[in-house]
Amino acid sequence: MERTAGKPKKEKLYRYYDYSLLFLILFLVCFGLVMIYSTSSYNAQRLYGDATYYLSRQALLGGAGILIMLFVSKIDYRIYIKKLPIIKLKPVTILYLLCVFLQIYVIAFGEEIKGAKRWIEIGSLGSFQPSELSKIAVIMFTAYIVNLAPRRLDKIWGFLRVAVFIAPLLGLVIVENLSTGLIIGLIFVGICFVASKKKAYFIISGLAMGALVAVMIFFVDFRSERFDAWLNVETHEKGYQILQGLYAIASGGIFGKGLGESMQKLGFIPESHNDMIFSVICEELGLFGAIALILLFILLLWRIFVIAINAPDLYGGLIATGVLIHIASQVLINIAVVTSTIPSTGIPLPFISYGGSSLMVILFEMGIVLSVSNQIKAYKA
Amino acid sequence: MAKNRTYNRRNILIIIVVILITAILLTGRLTYLIIFKSEEYAARAKALHERERPIKAERGSIYDINGVEIATNKPVCTISVIHNQITEPERVIKVLSEELGLSEEYVRKRVEKVSSIERIKSNVNKETADRIREYKLDGVMVDEDYKRYYPYGSLASKVIGFTGSDNQGVIGLEVKYEEYLKGINGTILTLTTAYGVEIENAAEDRITPQPGNDLYLTLDVNIQKYAEQAAYKVMEAKGADNVKLIVMNPNNGEIYAMVNAPEFDLNNPYNLINEIAQDYVGETLSSEKLNELLNGMWRNACISDTYEPGSAFKIVTTTAALEEKVLSLDDRFFCPGYKRVEDRIIRCHKAGGHGSQSFMEGIMNSCNPVFMEVGARVGVKKTYEYYKKLGLFNKTGVDIPGEANSIMHDIEDIGAVELATMSFGQSFQITPLQLLTAASAIINGGTLVTPHFGREIRSRDGRLIKTLTYETKENVISKETSETMKQLLEAVVSGGTGKRAYLPGFRVGGKTATSEKLPRRSGKYISSFIGFAPADDPQVIALVLIDEPVGIYYGGTVAAPVIADLFNSILPYMGIEPEYTEEELKQYEVGTFEVPDLIGKTRKEMKDLLRIYDFEDVYTLGDGETVTEQFPLPGESVNRGSSLVLYY
Repeated sequence: MERTAGKPKKEKLYRYYDYSLLFLILFLVCFGLVMIYSTSSYNAQRLYGDATYYLSRQALLGGAGILIMLFVSKIDYRIYIKKLPIIKLKPVTILYLLCVFLQIYVIAFGEEIKGAKRWIEIGSLGSFQPSELSKIAVIMFTAYIVNLAPRRLDKIWGFLRVAVFIAPLLGLVIVENLSTGLIIGLIFVGICFVASKKKAYFIISGLAMGALVAVMIFFVDFRSERFDAWLNVETHEKGYQILQGLYAIASGGIFGKGLGESMQKLGFIPESHNDMIFSVICEELGLFGAIALILLFILLLWRIFVIAINAPDLYGGLIATGVLIHIASQVLINIAVVTSTIPSTGIPLPFISYGGSSLMVILFEMGIVLSVSNQIKAYKA
Repeated sequence: MAKNRTYNRRNILIIIVVILITAILLTGRLTYLIIFKSEEYAARAKALHERERPIKAERGSIYDINGVEIATNKPVCTISVIHNQITEPERVIKVLSEELGLSEEYVRKRVEKVSSIERIKSNVNKETADRIREYKLDGVMVDEDYKRYYPYGSLASKVIGFTGSDNQGVIGLEVKYEEYLKGINGTILTLTTAYGVEIENAAEDRITPQPGNDLYLTLDVNIQKYAEQAAYKVMEAKGADNVKLIVMNPNNGEIYAMVNAPEFDLNNPYNLINEIAQDYVGETLSSEKLNELLNGMWRNACISDTYEPGSAFKIVTTTAALEEKVLSLDDRFFCPGYKRVEDRIIRCHKAGGHGSQSFMEGIMNSCNPVFMEVGARVGVKKTYEYYKKLGLFNKTGVDIPGEANSIMHDIEDIGAVELATMSFGQSFQITPLQLLTAASAIINGGTLVTPHFGREIRSRDGRLIKTLTYETKENVISKETSETMKQLLEAVVSGGTGKRAYLPGFRVGGKTATSEKLPRRSGKYISSFIGFAPADDPQVIALVLIDEPVGIYYGGTVAAPVIADLFNSILPYMGIEPEYTEEELKQYEVGTFEVPDLIGKTRKEMKDLLRIYDFEDVYTLGDGETVTEQFPLPGESVNRGSSLVLYY
């Protein structure tokens, strides 16, 4: 592979733009809208008298998200770590501080839905989940801190130095929502991992994180209940949703019942357009459809991976890695939950699940990744 | 700006590899779920989605021996509610409780219960159901259904039985032949959402119900009617507690009639009959008490209750003695009015005793000391051997549930006193049907039959499904003994204690019995009579038990006429024509004569003429002086004692 950050030979170079990634993104968003319509139309009709209630909201936000993505992709990502002219602050620092503020705000004043305070009401647009925004903040801010002195990460002290910067936000997110905290933690550790040359201490810190999660599972009340529900998914009261998901997966069979033919979405899986959407995809499109979707995600991740290793500088590579880990962890955790491989936790399936903040944040991240790709200078073929 | 170095790229590669491995593992897990778990989970999911609406199979009908329908179905409706579809719960509760006559709280409980479908009431008549349909209430379902219907009401109620709310047999033949009658319920499978709403156009699986098969009985509605009439007549006349009457073909065990008066109304089996209800007027019955009374009302005492057969059992004692050849009809006995057995004095029913008599006279007098003597001759071991041969230790095997067995002494416990009392039918208990079955074997030439009602099972279109067969044991006693017994029992009727069962023109055999109920000296009796006809070739055997008659309680006086009355009706019906002997013709003035031509005779002439002829009632019409018309017409042959109508 060409050294993209090599000596400039301007007459033969052109600015790369990853159109196949763009295509994959657009495809996934559209596929997501189709599945949201399929899964939500019954409930939307039942609750709002409008079968396209969820679809239209998601389509609106998806469309806006795509425009933002395209706009962001044309901005040089390096701008985020340059001081703004008047206020003498870097955008990435502003974003980070904003997120810390929002996380505090949501804990204090957030809207409580289903026993958890995770949403901030923003008028007619519905509600906004600041922990989604925190994901971008962590990706960009970690990459920024690491990029300042990447060699220090060869020692654990260097890692801890980065951790000190990230800890406030991570801590706030964990308090609010363990599963999002887990993803943010993975992103943060992943970025540090990529930047380091010597990484024996990652094994240690990995064990430490596992222990922390275990403590959370066993000693915080409602989370250990989820654990019980997972172990006894067929009998436990709280295992209902997962069991219904399993019924959906199983009744789809190899080729599925056909698009729109799911039975489980008719109220059996509560809010089937949310975190459990993958089970309905399995029911309607079968094992083949599910594997096709997984392959699409792998292709998408592969494109991000290619951009990450070809990024013109470490900062770009780290951002792309962060996004890669973000998407991958959500996809894998979501599928693992739906197949009852791990205890249930509320992680949406990127691009597909219903949820405005999630989709917008992911598309924004894709914009940044595309922007990284746009900074790659390649020889004309 | 730091550079993206090789080790950075390698690290990213490590991450993507970890991701890929995880993705492959998860795909594997997914594949496992779909391929290996799908059958189990998909079936459970399907069960969750499908709502099964059963379609009741129409229950088979029951026909009597002549093909008369005695149990059938008529359309009714079932009212149910679907919780999730109810939009106006208060109105639904109000309408349903008013229309169905149910308490508001009962309906409310069901309407408010979260379930896919909840039955409010079944067996609602069609008019009420149509009215409920008119309200067009959301979430209220009216399903057409069948209800068991018994055209003859209380006829043979305890034999036929009735069905419960799920159309299942509750007692009697309805229970016994449940598997043939019930048919196979069908189902409509509809897909519903989690909120219980049926999905339109979803493929409906429909399993059509298969109607039950029809049951054909040996019971004869006409004979049953005659028998019930006779039973009710004597029950009323004697103020009896209840009357049991069984009519059977002794040769094959086909039961023509089984009466347990008072019967109850099969179309309202949960209403206490007046005979029972009158004892509880003004009382509110607890549900346990009501259940107890209902169970008592439904009880088929002919097969479920045991009693001491009394003198009728002398038939069995005699048979055993004749078989063992320890008795000849000419043997002479002496009855001083009692017999001393060991330290006990056992009395004969005739206080002064019958004096010296032959065995023939002894049985005609139903003399207890004679039979104590005969029983002692046979001995305990042989006695029990014959009891066993005659089926008295086993249930008869009749095809009605709830049959009781006899209560007998253990053979080791039988001393001379017990044997003596057993020989005239005391100190043990059997069911009326056991006695009838044993007696049938004795008079039919020695074949122990299984009494039964079921003849054959036919499909609805008349195709024969199954001919019901029953076990018979041949030669339990010898033909000669059987012949002798018939003669003896005919003698009992023609000149002995059973003479009130005598029926001119028919040869009737039989034996009376009067059993004192336990505890003794309570003054409560069961008068019974077992009779058969024609005595030389029995075609029908009948046993009547009159429980606690008021006043005269002797079987010969109370019970024997019931059988005479019954046989008088059913023998001609069964095609057995009377054959009068010369003696009978004279004695009972039966026979026919030719009607003379009376037209033109004056009133005065008629007065003399009517002395000659055997007209019983003479009706005259008109004011003329001479007969202008007569009925019956001249030259017709009429029975003696017929009526005559004359027009002047």
